Amino acid sequence: MLFRSDEEIESWLQRKCLERGAVLSLQRVWELAKRWYVDRISPAFRGRTADEAQAIFRQLDLTGEFWRDTPA
Amino acid sequence: MSLPPTDSDWKIRQVIYACLVATGCAPDTRDIAARFDLRPAQAQAALQRLHDAHALVLADDGAVLMAHPLSAVQTDYRARIDGRWLYANCAWDSLGIPAMLGDDAQIEALHPLTRQPIRFAIRGGQLVGAEDGLVHFAQPFRHWYDDIVET
Repeated sequence: MLFRSDEEIESWLQRKCLERGAVLSLQRVWELAKRWYVDRISPAFRGRTADEAQAIFRQLDLTGEFWRDTPA
Repeated sequence: MSLPPTDSDWKIRQVIYACLVATGCAPDTRDIAARFDLRPAQAQAALQRLHDAHALVLADDGAVLMAHPLSAVQTDYRARIDGRWLYANCAWDSLGIPAMLGDDAQIEALHPLTRQPIRFAIRGGQLVGAEDGLVHFAQPFRHWYDDIVET
């Protein structure tokens, strides 16, 4: 979900009784979208392995627990 | 354990993406069956294999719901490309549409609290507008496919 401030995120999480996940700037999500979706419509696309997903995350320094395939 | 998609299944997926990009709508099982000379049950089985492989997402009634980043139903996120609005599954996917198509886009996302549109764009590969935008990812990566609709 897209917000304009961290305060808005906290307000929404409280309203929905949800725990905080990961928060990325819209610019960083654009960088992620480019890497994640660039080949999605290619006839050669056959899905993405967890290792390939992890490689994309690492390119953007998304290396915390939230982005791992299995718990550390 | 479900079978992996066949080469024919992946061709069906290509047609689904092409329809969604061209019209915003996904073909139904009968359309797919007719196009690929299959029985409806065979077409549905192909869709199920693609769903099981996370190559698309089916609704409970078996219809195509998502072909990431595209949504087959209206959502709070949409991107306008070449004069037509295409719906996305989330804020990330709204950026995924121009990323996938390699094109400029105007994007609108309804604010979760105010329900007012947040507008931004991709122009020449650059994000324009909503520079203060923050995207909240609710589910850790390892749980993304536990409930993809909630993710």
